[in-house]
Amino acid sequence: MRPSRTSYPLSWRLMDALEAIAAAVWPRSFSAAVPWLMLLPAVVLVGLLVLGLWDMADGSFRTLDTATFLPSDDYSLTNYHRAFTEKLFFTVASRSLIGSLIVTAVTLIFAFPYSYVMVRTRSTVLRKFLLIALFLPFFIGQVVRAYGWLIILGSQGMVNEALGLVGVSPIRLLYNYPAVLFGLVQYMLPFAVLMLAPALTAIPEEMESAAGSLGANWVRTFIHVVLPLAKPGFIGAGLVVMTLSLTDFAIPAILGGGSQDFIANAIYDQFFRTSDQGMGATLALLLVAVGSIMVGVVFALFGAGTLAIGRSK
Amino acid sequence: MTGSIKPSFLLGRRRFLQGVGLAGAAGLVGMPFGRAFAAEPEKPKEIIVRAWGGSWVDSLKAGVSDPFTKLTGIAVRHDLTEDNEIQPKLWAAAAQKRVPPIHVNWDTTTNATKSALRGVTEDLSDLPNLKTVSDAAKPVGVDGYPIVNTYGYVYVLAYRPEAFPEGAPKSWNVLLDPKFKGRVAVYNDGIGLHFPAEVAGGGKLEDIPANMQPAWDFFTKLKANEPLMGEDPDFTTWFQKGEIDVACTISSNAREAKKNGIAIAWTVPDEGATYETDGLWVPKYLPENELYWAKQYVNFALTLDAQQVWLDGLGLPGVVPGLKPPADLVGDASYPTKDEDYKKLLRVSSKVQVEHESEWFGKFKEIMQG
Repeated sequence: MRPSRTSYPLSWRLMDALEAIAAAVWPRSFSAAVPWLMLLPAVVLVGLLVLGLWDMADGSFRTLDTATFLPSDDYSLTNYHRAFTEKLFFTVASRSLIGSLIVTAVTLIFAFPYSYVMVRTRSTVLRKFLLIALFLPFFIGQVVRAYGWLIILGSQGMVNEALGLVGVSPIRLLYNYPAVLFGLVQYMLPFAVLMLAPALTAIPEEMESAAGSLGANWVRTFIHVVLPLAKPGFIGAGLVVMTLSLTDFAIPAILGGGSQDFIANAIYDQFFRTSDQGMGATLALLLVAVGSIMVGVVFALFGAGTLAIGRSK
Repeated sequence: MTGSIKPSFLLGRRRFLQGVGLAGAAGLVGMPFGRAFAAEPEKPKEIIVRAWGGSWVDSLKAGVSDPFTKLTGIAVRHDLTEDNEIQPKLWAAAAQKRVPPIHVNWDTTTNATKSALRGVTEDLSDLPNLKTVSDAAKPVGVDGYPIVNTYGYVYVLAYRPEAFPEGAPKSWNVLLDPKFKGRVAVYNDGIGLHFPAEVAGGGKLEDIPANMQPAWDFFTKLKANEPLMGEDPDFTTWFQKGEIDVACTISSNAREAKKNGIAIAWTVPDEGATYETDGLWVPKYLPENELYWAKQYVNFALTLDAQQVWLDGLGLPGVVPGLKPPADLVGDASYPTKDEDYKKLLRVSSKVQVEHESEWFGKFKEIMQG
């Protein structure tokens, strides 16, 4: 006996209709193309980036005519020559590069114990506290955080007030290179913890117990078991922190007191202060090149770490 | 610059401009708007004017924008994008012959001159109120009026009176005094300080731009004194937080800080102080009716009443004869009114500044970032 149409639920009919529409729009024979379709947003995104870079590359070969404030029609390497020979750009570039390396090293040193305790602690209260402390800074913008340091470390800030209580006269804690590095480390720490934590979670706790039962103290366990197994996390975190520090703008601008510019600040100056978009484009492209080379070298030497999503070298 | 406008409209527009010049005055004394603007082009709902924030935009709003809205019924929206950051957007719009994102740009004369040289500004020569303004309104080194200078301002030496118990410092060399190491501040591109540095460094104003070495020597010594470098809001914060004792800044900022209760005073040292101008300009490729009303806004900004309120707020000398200085600035060297006042100030044509600004800026940065 044929089943009554009323016994066929409405939701099924809706699903049938949706499937029919889907089949009309995207026939089953197209199924092999689905993965490529899913890649489309990434392709569009990268395509736009490449288009922008191409435009900047074109601009980087044109010099500014200060009689008309138009870029030259002809191409030349003048901007690149300036970038490699003018002392200002060398100073700013070397400060950025050295700064990013120092910030990466210090951030990883601070991020590791934080991640380790967060992953291994048996106290849910402590874990929740560490997680909240980790995510809270993400809700506060970089500029606001930098201004927070002005309140804490300024000449009339909390630290100097505390020092004043014990008879120490105010110390200039801000507007120097260490202040910029300090601000960057504080800003980068949550990123590093987020990258390290999955790698530490992936290390079975039994491995550490096994090392202990075989006579290794915690130092040897740490050096010979935990650190090697956490390497993918260190690489992923290091890459993220290094690239973000290298290209940072706000922290050097606010905590550097105008005398500790990074490359991003120099690029801003060229685009927006001197109206020399060709020179700005040149510096921006060189920054992209240097950053890419640094990442490439790390990939070549150590693999992509946690950024490789489960695939090790 | 007005080549794109049809001759018939040009004639009509000139009549409108003259008419509105009168109507503007009439409107302020109570003539009904309908009668005052009987034959004007279609009014946009609003016009967008780029402005600096804080007391700057408040003064513009009180003196020009609100009365303009009252007179015409056109709302004025203020776009607080930084002057340096709006510039590439306007240039890109003009290069693509697109409608620009703003109707009127309130800009420094040096920046505006760059835009004029690039050919992205409308000519404002036919504004009726230009007949009544002083020579200071005319930009130097460009044809016609691609920008109208609306007032002048002075980069003064601002200081914390408590740090100078013997009175105001007499020379810019105070910035080099080791007693104030780490407690002096200048703009992060050196703006306002190049000319005083040239003179205080042993050179002469006439040496600019051929020989800037005295200025570079001054900056080299200044670097050793570990100055803070920032922008307008930074100076106020630094004075407020007790981070600095002395700074080179625009008199308006110092006056505003004082109004807000910060202990600050200012002076024009013996070497003189940089005198600059700001102005208004209208970008190209606006629809014709919007261009018309944008020009009316600039024209209105050149009336005595508008300037009096606007510039009282800023504490700056305008370009319309008959303006009265605010009571607190009478006799103040940062508010020049007489020829002898201007003689104390250091002025270099915007043409020279535009041509050399990038080079001066680069050199300043090279010294200070080293």
